[in-house]
Amino acid sequence: MKYYASIGEKEYEIEILSETQVLIDGVPHEIDLKVLRQCQSLSLLVDGRSYDINIYQDNGDWDVLLRGRQFSVEIDDERERRLRLAAGQVARPTGRYVLTAPMPGLVIDIPVGEGDQVSKGDVLLILESMKMQNELTAPRDGTVTRIETKVNDNVERKQDLLVLE
Amino acid sequence: MFKKILIANRGEIAVRVIRSCRELDIPTAAVYSDADRHSLHVRYADEAYYLGPSKASDSYLRGDKIIEIALECGADAIHPGYGFLAERADFSQACQESGITFIGPKPSAIAAMGDKQVARNTVSEAGVPVVLGTEGQGDLTDEELLKIAPEIGFPLLIKPSAGGGGKGMREVRNLEEMPGLLTASRREAEASFGDGNIYLEKLIQGARHIEIQILADQHGNVIHLGERECSIQRRHQKLLEEAPSPFIGENQELREAMGAVAVQAARAVDYLNAGTIEFLVDEDRNYYFLEMNTRLQVEHPVTEAVTGIDIIKEQIRIAAGQPLRLKQEDIVLKGWAMECRINAEDPFKGFMPSTGTITQSLLPAGPGIRVDSGVYSGFEISPYYDALIAKLIVHEETRNETITRMKRALEEYRVIGVRTNIPFHLALLEDPEFLAGDFDTQFIKDDVPPFSGGQDNQSLPEVAALAAVLAAHQKTQSSAVLIQGGRQATSNWKWLGRWERTTK
Repeated sequence: MKYYASIGEKEYEIEILSETQVLIDGVPHEIDLKVLRQCQSLSLLVDGRSYDINIYQDNGDWDVLLRGRQFSVEIDDERERRLRLAAGQVARPTGRYVLTAPMPGLVIDIPVGEGDQVSKGDVLLILESMKMQNELTAPRDGTVTRIETKVNDNVERKQDLLVLE
Repeated sequence: MFKKILIANRGEIAVRVIRSCRELDIPTAAVYSDADRHSLHVRYADEAYYLGPSKASDSYLRGDKIIEIALECGADAIHPGYGFLAERADFSQACQESGITFIGPKPSAIAAMGDKQVARNTVSEAGVPVVLGTEGQGDLTDEELLKIAPEIGFPLLIKPSAGGGGKGMREVRNLEEMPGLLTASRREAEASFGDGNIYLEKLIQGARHIEIQILADQHGNVIHLGERECSIQRRHQKLLEEAPSPFIGENQELREAMGAVAVQAARAVDYLNAGTIEFLVDEDRNYYFLEMNTRLQVEHPVTEAVTGIDIIKEQIRIAAGQPLRLKQEDIVLKGWAMECRINAEDPFKGFMPSTGTITQSLLPAGPGIRVDSGVYSGFEISPYYDALIAKLIVHEETRNETITRMKRALEEYRVIGVRTNIPFHLALLEDPEFLAGDFDTQFIKDDVPPFSGGQDNQSLPEVAALAAVLAAHQKTQSSAVLIQGGRQATSNWKWLGRWERTTK
């Protein structure tokens, strides 16, 4: 099975040949992977080099913690890659996006209104939690179609705040 | 000595105070809110008493209730830690009136340093340099401030008298934009502190934030324990501190001069117990009084590391009326120390606080490492208090060796379940300007410096990509098995099985 993994601009072609053999950009490597379930860690040996790893999956991205650093990895497999190329280009995310509260808190400000056009990175809402004012931003371009909270509301974790389409 | 000390705080600092009390053989009483029944300070204290609901205003800020608990349980002293009630003159006063020793300064000193204009005025009269501003002129109107502004010169800062944490602070570049900024600053100050009074202060470009630790006893002895470098801040929140300051370094003359001035400032308010004088230091090594923190600081461990002094024990001895055992000439700084504040926040998402359960916490250890933490595996981070989960402090001989040791410790440190700023600290410790000691308070921008690699670490991104692919592959394999009607996967891949549930 062949995969394409990218970190920022850099892409790696990784082919899994067996449980102990992979090709990274065509170069063969011996691997040995063990799950240390009690520690929630992966112990990975690559050609005898030892790495202790933790992984989070977050919105389709894989966040890998390794020696205190964090790498966000995007992964395509062969099939997804073919479909994407056939479609002409990388699919642009569209459709509904519901902004939910990442943590409980107090709504301090909603600098947008219903019907506003917003661009990726624009601040949609400011939520106060853990003594900090946190800016929740738009993950992509879109139109604010519904606002389901108001300033001074106390919101719960995962509560819907507003809708972007 | 005291019969029992009540600790009016939570988290890592409550644990820190309990530790010193235990070593002094003084029984401790913890207090806790609803959210903190499972907290480490409750588990480590000799006694623990329920205080109230999770919101700080219903629990850790309820001075009346805390004094009541102290009287009931027979505590004859209260340690306030930092934050919450630590800098409230009325609380220090109320303790006094109830016959309980407040381990900290007298109410008069807290009040004198609490109002920034009064503080600037007081120390300036005692001969301590302050940044040019409108202190000592009382509360001025907008018209008066606009008239004085050009005399101070631009850029300047508008600051609330009652200030703290950067709230209500505005930077002014020219006279034209000033009226609007005055209005905004007053409004924010009024909303945050219930006091709309503001003053002006010249903005010092490229300034560093360097502070001096003070100890003052009841017998008129005041000494300083050298400086701490605290310029690494984001939105006025300190992230990394070190002692000594690389900017002062070998300049013993400057260190002694600043120390003497800090002692002078403390004497000006008849200071008692541990306190910190914050200075701004410009590129030409001119230093100016910024403010005094009339309490224990979060970053006190770096001073403890280089001086060998347990500051909490000194605080307790001072409060009990004992004279300082050390004279100024006994204070010798040994080696270098650095502290990284480990916060439950995601540096890759605008430093957003991260709540949830810490499912794993594996602490660094080995030579020269100290971790002051209030959390453990299975602990839930609640949204009610600040995001500080631990302080990682390392000590070595030189700054370079300290940085190497800190990197080693950060690489060992594992916190799973909530995101932390550990990757931010590692990136900072690889920054060439940071390594050269070349930074000011504006150094940290809002983004995380990119991973720079370094010779030993060239292969890390490739390994990360491989690990993610192996995890994704396993996920695909296990869903394929489900589709095939739950046939048992015979492959050894199944060990990855529950990674998703365990690391999410």
